[in-house]
Amino acid sequence: MTDVTSETLRRWRESQGWDVPRMARELRKAARDTGEDVAAHHGLVKMIPQWERGNRAPRERYRLLYLKIFEDALVLSRGAEAGVNIAVRLAEVRSRAASLPGPDQIRALEAGALAKPRKTLTPVEIRALAAEAIAQLHEVAGKLTKLSALLGDESGEDKS
Amino acid sequence: MTTRDDQIRQVVAELDVHIAEVEANVAVLKALLAEGEVPGEEDPS
Repeated sequence: MTDVTSETLRRWRESQGWDVPRMARELRKAARDTGEDVAAHHGLVKMIPQWERGNRAPRERYRLLYLKIFEDALVLSRGAEAGVNIAVRLAEVRSRAASLPGPDQIRALEAGALAKPRKTLTPVEIRALAAEAIAQLHEVAGKLTKLSALLGDESGEDKS
Repeated sequence: MTTRDDQIRQVVAELDVHIAEVEANVAVLKALLAEGEVPGEEDPS
């Protein structure tokens, strides 16, 4: 725990909404569970602010107790952070998928582009472009369905 | 990070690619239509 700063100890405690006496009780409780011998409650109440201010460093037994107490909370916190990132990406990609034109709209664009001779693309190229767009649209629909299955919801959007 | 999270990330990444393909092709089709609307570029016949 050499990379854990005194500031981190305070943040860990505050993340649980614990005051110093509660932190002392939690340390003693964790110590009881592992059969460790630790300072009395009033001693810990004095030491914890000193550790958090960086006036003195906790001994190894206390560092290990801190890790034991906050291990689960830290794992949950990292999991939640990853979940939020996925949710943001998910919302973004679904929004983009929802704004895509449907196959009929693509065919209408194709018909419009074919209606007059174009300098940049031949009719064959325009048809190929529209066909590719519709094929990719089907892929999008397939992936959205797969995503909905993974998420276990019914909110996937079918563009086909 | 669970296997399910990894699968979701993978599908989202694939979706991203397919959506970009559709957007690119549609943009070209729209540009072709717009090209026909620009005065002076229309076929005089």
